[in-house]
Amino acid sequence: MQTLLDLWAAHSSTVAFAMVNALMALSTYAVLSTGVLSFTTVVFAAVGGFLSAQLVAKLGMPLAIAFPLAAVGGGLAAAMVAGAFLKLETHWMALASLALVLITRVVALNAPVLTGGVNGLVIPRRVSLGELTVVLVLVALVFYRLSRSWYGLAARAVREDPAVASTMGISPYRVQFIAFLISGVVGGLAGAALAFTLQFISPETYFIGIAFTMIASTVLGGSFHWFGSIIGAAIFTALPVAMQAVVPAFEDVAKGIALLVIMIFLPRGLIDPRAAGLRRAARARIAAESNNA
Amino acid sequence: MQLFLEQTINGVALGSLYALFGIGFGLVFATLGILNAAHGTYASWAAIVAYYALDWYGAPFPVAAAAGVIAGGTIAVVVDQIAFQPLRNRGTGLLGALITSIAFWIILDSLAGQATEHQALAFPATSYPTRMLELGAMRVPIMQVIVITSLVVCATGIYLLIQKTLVGAAMRAVGWNSVAAALGGVNSRIVILLTAFLAGATSGLAGVLAGVTTSNVSFTLGEGLMLKGFAAVVVGGFEDVRGTAVAGIMLGVIEVSAAQYLSTSFRDGITYTLLLLFLMLRPRGLFGSTNFLRA
Amino acid sequence: MTNIMAKLAIAAFGAALLGVTGAIAGPAGGEYSIGFVTENTGPLAAAGLSYYRGANVALTEINDKGLAGPGVRLKLSEKESGSDAARAVQAVTQLAADRAVVAVTCCILSPVAGAVKPVVVNEKLPLVIYGATLPGLPSPPWVYSVVGLPGPQEVKMTKKLIEVLKPKTVTYFVNADNEGFQNRFKAAQKVMEDAGVKTAGVISILASDTDFTAPATQAMAQNPDLIMVWTTQGPAGGIIASLRQRGYKGEISASDVISPAPMFRRIGEPLAGIPFPINFAAELAKTSEAKAFVAAYQAKHKDFPDTYASQGYTAMYLLAQAIRGIDGPVTREAIANALSKIDLINPNVFGGLPLVNGQAEVANSLIANWTKDGQIAVWERR
Repeated sequence: MQTLLDLWAAHSSTVAFAMVNALMALSTYAVLSTGVLSFTTVVFAAVGGFLSAQLVAKLGMPLAIAFPLAAVGGGLAAAMVAGAFLKLETHWMALASLALVLITRVVALNAPVLTGGVNGLVIPRRVSLGELTVVLVLVALVFYRLSRSWYGLAARAVREDPAVASTMGISPYRVQFIAFLISGVVGGLAGAALAFTLQFISPETYFIGIAFTMIASTVLGGSFHWFGSIIGAAIFTALPVAMQAVVPAFEDVAKGIALLVIMIFLPRGLIDPRAAGLRRAARARIAAESNNA
Repeated sequence: MQLFLEQTINGVALGSLYALFGIGFGLVFATLGILNAAHGTYASWAAIVAYYALDWYGAPFPVAAAAGVIAGGTIAVVVDQIAFQPLRNRGTGLLGALITSIAFWIILDSLAGQATEHQALAFPATSYPTRMLELGAMRVPIMQVIVITSLVVCATGIYLLIQKTLVGAAMRAVGWNSVAAALGGVNSRIVILLTAFLAGATSGLAGVLAGVTTSNVSFTLGEGLMLKGFAAVVVGGFEDVRGTAVAGIMLGVIEVSAAQYLSTSFRDGITYTLLLLFLMLRPRGLFGSTNFLRA
Repeated sequence: MTNIMAKLAIAAFGAALLGVTGAIAGPAGGEYSIGFVTENTGPLAAAGLSYYRGANVALTEINDKGLAGPGVRLKLSEKESGSDAARAVQAVTQLAADRAVVAVTCCILSPVAGAVKPVVVNEKLPLVIYGATLPGLPSPPWVYSVVGLPGPQEVKMTKKLIEVLKPKTVTYFVNADNEGFQNRFKAAQKVMEDAGVKTAGVISILASDTDFTAPATQAMAQNPDLIMVWTTQGPAGGIIASLRQRGYKGEISASDVISPAPMFRRIGEPLAGIPFPINFAAELAKTSEAKAFVAAYQAKHKDFPDTYASQGYTAMYLLAQAIRGIDGPVTREAIANALSKIDLINPNVFGGLPLVNGQAEVANSLIANWTKDGQIAVWERR
């Protein structure tokens, strides 16, 4: 029993980070599911994170109010970004979002009043694992309902072929705009979650490292289903810890190799509805054939 | 006046490095359609190989530089074949290649750190030309002249290659639509390898020169170049080498002037704001073509 | 008869008393783990390695000579953080969960130390900071720092420069993104301006910058009598190299970031003659403890220890000193208590190292410079 408790205590922070990364990955997935590759989740997370940190540190608000406000902040940022950039084509969108991430860092560095500047902000409170789980479950529930709704169908259509979708009366622009809003809200939550888990944020926190982590998590887990983002985040967060236990000298290289191998052999990620559907169809066909034979 | 001229030349030299790197990065993006996160590591590794060629074998500087450039190209080809080639047939597009490039970025950066034993190394001062050219009252380091000349030569060379030769036409065809190009008789495989090598070699050259002029050979070299080179590509328009060259030089000059005449703490901010403005108002960049909006 | 019986009884009682107190005097024997958050990869790996090596040299000595108490052995439980705040927090959380770890030591960067501090206070785990230089980090009983803060030594150097060089104008280089160096620069500027030396210009750079030809040109155009470089290590080397390469022949001063030997190997002759304040320099070691440390480090690593190695070394010695002073079981609370009672770190390689409110204070700092052939010597005006 004691060893279990020790194990839990040692790895509770990894579990917390995995949940935060899952939120980030879900935010990225929101726009990816409509066919847009964008790193802007980092920007929304920065907005949400710094906003909630300041609210709690300077105004003493409770977490239950700071988190929703962070989500609102992220959503507003998303509306602005989508309005400015959604007209760009895929490749450009990716570049533009990367540029936005760079700009966010410069802004954060040069606005010490808002962000603590170079020294960052120390955050007095910590969000508990239970609270994180609640947030994650709520967000997952939203994605689950969305995927089975009209919006989910429209998003899939837009991702497959925007031209065909628009001939069917679905406006890709509207669907993607909504996707950005969702991404912004979830991103703001993710940023707040990261801030209150790390208990310390700085302009470096919301930068390229996290951008690549969340993209890798999303694609690794499966960019065709929302659950994939959660699984991918769990694996990608656990990977460095596992590698450190196994090959401490080469842990970074091992992490890269693991990522490479998974991507080459499972390019659609771990959770792939199409593969699952094909397997099911194959089984049904084999069952039908053995019935007929 | 003299200060203004000196700083302009500094800016042009700095920008030439960005432009040189951006040409390589833009080549991969335009022709192979891949946002290559690992591109910066080609530059770091080229500098590291050049350093060790000098250190272990005492090679003269041009030979060591050439070794670095070839190393950069070779690493680019290896990464392309391991990370991107398996995904080409599966149609994962930009996304799959991005992830594998991130994987290689992690691997190559980590290996570069181990290769330099986590130190920042520097080319010994005796190994490269350090004289200053006297132009009237101004003094210009010879290395800066070398850097600017390299950019002009490479940019012109690659531009002519892409626009005026059959090989270049093949590269453009593969970038547009590799299946159609294959139907037209182009061996896509060879073209892709050639493009990857060229891109890696150009960025490798940028890495070696940057390593010399900044006295810093380490894995951080590539990252610095990457961000600025990427800005040069976006502002210049990634399909045209001339655009990247001009944009890179412009960015270098703006960066130096902003630091000198405005404020050093906003230096990066001005570069990236310019980037943002271009993205919003003129996404195709200075010289790019028009297929930047969605259908 | 009763007298003898009484005497025997008293003797027996005395012996028993002695036996009992003998048993509870001193720390309980055994092997204890000290958590060490290493920074052997990442942007500060060169410095991180120095701290790590210094600590290991100390640990070998402590274990061989039993300096942590009779029957007490210490070992390191390492977790890599790569100078990243998130990973450092994770590392410290894991170390806190490991009940064999009785104390933890970390952090080169002040923001990282700032992030780790609430974790250790929460987990009630004593922390000794080996590298971060922000004042106000230590808070007994849980957080201590063996880092001699830069402030006083740099004021001392600035005063000496005013006295010897008599500059009329100064240009300063400073990191825009490092509060520690901003504070150092402001302290130096105040001393200069109070003495009537004008500021010709302040040039900000970023820690991740690599190209310094433009800032160097800018500085040279201001024609100062002295250029003071208050930046982190990478930029400091780049700035000095660029200044000399462009032909600047005037005076430059720097901080102790240019003191490690790899800096001289990298930049070489341009560094020669540039004064910097330093707490510990292997070539200038005077006390016997310092010389012994230098010899031990050289025997193991064939290189002189730099100032970072001396700090890693001192961190371990502080913990050993605390453990030695414990009576009874060696727990985290006991160590924290023992640490809060220490006001002089002994032995030390600095010729005296008081610990005031958890913060070490270095009284004897020197002004040194590199010579052309790569030795550190006391600075003298040519």
